[in-house]
Amino acid sequence: MKTRLILVLLIVLSATLNAQKYIAKTGHIWFYSYTPIEEIEAHNRQSVSILDASTGDIQFTLLIRSFEFKIALMQEHFNVNYMESDKFPKSSFKGKITNPEKINFKKDGVYEAEASGDLTIHGVTKPVNVKGTVEIKNGLPTLKSKFKILTEDYKIVVPDLVKEKIAKEIEISLDIVYQAN
Amino acid sequence: MKKFLLISLIVAAIGTLIVLKITFRKADTSVESKKADVVISANDLLNAFESDEIVANAKYLNKVILVEGIVAEINADSTGVSVYLKEAETVSGVLCGFNSETEISDNVNIGQKIKIKGMCTGYLMDVVLNKCAFE
Repeated sequence: MKTRLILVLLIVLSATLNAQKYIAKTGHIWFYSYTPIEEIEAHNRQSVSILDASTGDIQFTLLIRSFEFKIALMQEHFNVNYMESDKFPKSSFKGKITNPEKINFKKDGVYEAEASGDLTIHGVTKPVNVKGTVEIKNGLPTLKSKFKILTEDYKIVVPDLVKEKIAKEIEISLDIVYQAN
Repeated sequence: MKKFLLISLIVAAIGTLIVLKITFRKADTSVESKKADVVISANDLLNAFESDEIVANAKYLNKVILVEGIVAEINADSTGVSVYLKEAETVSGVLCGFNSETEISDNVNIGQKIKIKGMCTGYLMDVVLNKCAFE
């Protein structure tokens, strides 16, 4: 009886040790739009991400309304006119790190990482491939990445009047500090 | 007479442009100076979103909310400043994001009951409040 209990305990313990799941609730994701007339950036510091080191599964979700702009009216236009955040309140990415064997989650260091998956913005889902780095520090990963998307790919309509102020290509950056789950 | 009309039209146009320019450039007035639309406990707010997100969205989204809850986590790193309100027995809570320049005073401690005012931006794993200020 006792040995069985110990066995069960051992299995449970090893399962939790091997799970290697990491979570971030205050992930920083921001975007940048540049045209000669206007530079726009907005920051979202409450992005949720789950990273499973054993499978390479990686997910992101964020609230469009959590993007903060320097100018209040810009934020309003972003939500109401371009992103229609009442209709599409969230944006997400669901995918896999395609080279998990190159990342040693148990050893501190900076590793090149690649991920591919489905990015959903404004209700439109598109496959994307992105590159970035995973830094392991004190046993916890920090993910950094930068990639570009086209507004028209996600059916984000920019009126002619402001076409010169909003770039067609938007740069998205990520800085996600994970905690052990 | 025509000339007068033309001049006043130009003046009016310039005036409108200036007013527009000022309005468009207006910096984000922080939630701090606004009166709370809703006063609620962090737990009740969470329950509302957990039981029916659509109804809760209609009720709380984009509103200034004054929540009272227990501090479970304080985060201040390179990516931002936040205070997480959560009861010991619940899985989720209310995540309050502050301006990244905010300094959380030593008077705010884990386990303490606190009031925070912020703009509700929705629900992910937690209810999210933005542009927060201590009340």
